[in-house]
Amino acid sequence: MSREDEGRLADRLIAGDPSAFRDLMEAYKRKVYGLAYEMTQNHADAEDVSQVAFMKVHRSIGTLKPGRGLNAWLYQIVYRTAIDHIRKRSFYPKDALPSPPRAAFFSEPPDPSAGPEKSAEVACLRKRIDEALAKVSSRERAAIILRHYHDLKLREIAQTLGVSLGSAKSYLFRALRKLQKELDGAEICLNDGDRP
Amino acid sequence: MKRCRFWQKRIPEALYGEMDPETRDSLDRHLATCGKCARLYRGLAETVRLLDVRPAPDREPEFWEEYWDRFERRRAQGMDLSGTAPRAFPVPRWAYGALGATLFLALGVFLGRTLFSPRVDPGLAARPGISETSPAAQPSPATGAAGFSLEARASRYLRRSRVILLAVVNSDPGSEESFNLSLPLQKRSSEELVQEAAVLKKELRSSDRRLERLVSDLEMILLQIANLKPQPDASAVEIIKAGIESRDVFFKINLNEVRRATSGEGTERGPGRPAVNPKAPGVKTAPRA
Repeated sequence: MSREDEGRLADRLIAGDPSAFRDLMEAYKRKVYGLAYEMTQNHADAEDVSQVAFMKVHRSIGTLKPGRGLNAWLYQIVYRTAIDHIRKRSFYPKDALPSPPRAAFFSEPPDPSAGPEKSAEVACLRKRIDEALAKVSSRERAAIILRHYHDLKLREIAQTLGVSLGSAKSYLFRALRKLQKELDGAEICLNDGDRP
Repeated sequence: MKRCRFWQKRIPEALYGEMDPETRDSLDRHLATCGKCARLYRGLAETVRLLDVRPAPDREPEFWEEYWDRFERRRAQGMDLSGTAPRAFPVPRWAYGALGATLFLALGVFLGRTLFSPRVDPGLAARPGISETSPAAQPSPATGAAGFSLEARASRYLRRSRVILLAVVNSDPGSEESFNLSLPLQKRSSEELVQEAAVLKKELRSSDRRLERLVSDLEMILLQIANLKPQPDASAVEIIKAGIESRDVFFKINLNEVRRATSGEGTERGPGRPAVNPKAPGVKTAPRA
């Protein structure tokens, strides 16, 4: 969705257009779900978080201010909902919860025409990145995910996380540094296929 | 070094194209002269490139076809994240904390009172300062003796009197600490007992003449104690001791207790309190003047 479309949708929401919320959900459901999954690392939780976040969005439309930016407003709600969910989840003993399925379903599966070796390499690399992302803190992960996969500006990331612009820059830098260290040697995947 | 730290933190801005051209030129100039920062830049750029291999997580198309319907169902039920419907009257989170703290406090008070309350010794209960804490154990003449039989009240009266008399009798007039017996306390107790004696005598007159005479004797002695000066001289105390001795007050009190114990009326005897032998050596008799 372009910035112009985003602005128009925000105006419709503020004006109380009854179909605007459905359009918002159709436009953002994958992104919202994606952020929820990245934060919770669990598909079941991601669906819960995304739906609850949309409920909160529906209730909070009145707080959307013209010109503030729909993206940051929406992602802020999703991020906070996910953090709340993680906190509640960590309150309970791990045995009381079903083990989270870690295997992600990606919108772009490895290209079968590339051959089995290449597919294995890509799968290996994705796995390494998943593991690396799981090792950074929630805020750092949110910063890199929002910047890299959701194309949010640093200013919007700062709004979403509820921090200053400088802090958002620091989170992004630290996330990249940690990922760099974790992915150091990931080129092995590109040569040897999936590691044991 | 400080310059390097400044530019290193801004590398992500450059990598994601959020840096204005002028700043970008400055960064490039720095990278051209600083090998460490240049290596870091290349490393982070490679990391960003690797992240592109992993697309954003998604679900199968069937999942999205039903997504709106599931959302609508959930919204209609008003379910929150835990899958439970919200309560009609949502309670703020601090209320749980306050309630918990109150319950904890109440439990502490209950346990403290139940397990750690001091047990009042019947002998000590005769002292007003202590007996005030347990009014049930010391009915005053004014309030009457609701719930206590006449014998029980008389027995308690005798016990309280004996404590005061023992304190006076055992005091040593020659010692400087002769009045470490807290005279104001005993004077006050004596006053109370004198008042109680009037009621007791009236009630005992028709039932137990011997006990009534004993109470009269005690009343006389207690009146003397109540009328002592705050700093009495030794002779006043000696007169009281002589009165106690001449009337055989301790013997009569102990005899009365034995009589009660043998007649099976010792319901007021405290737990573990043995029947008293009137000639028991534990009872110190007043020294002859």
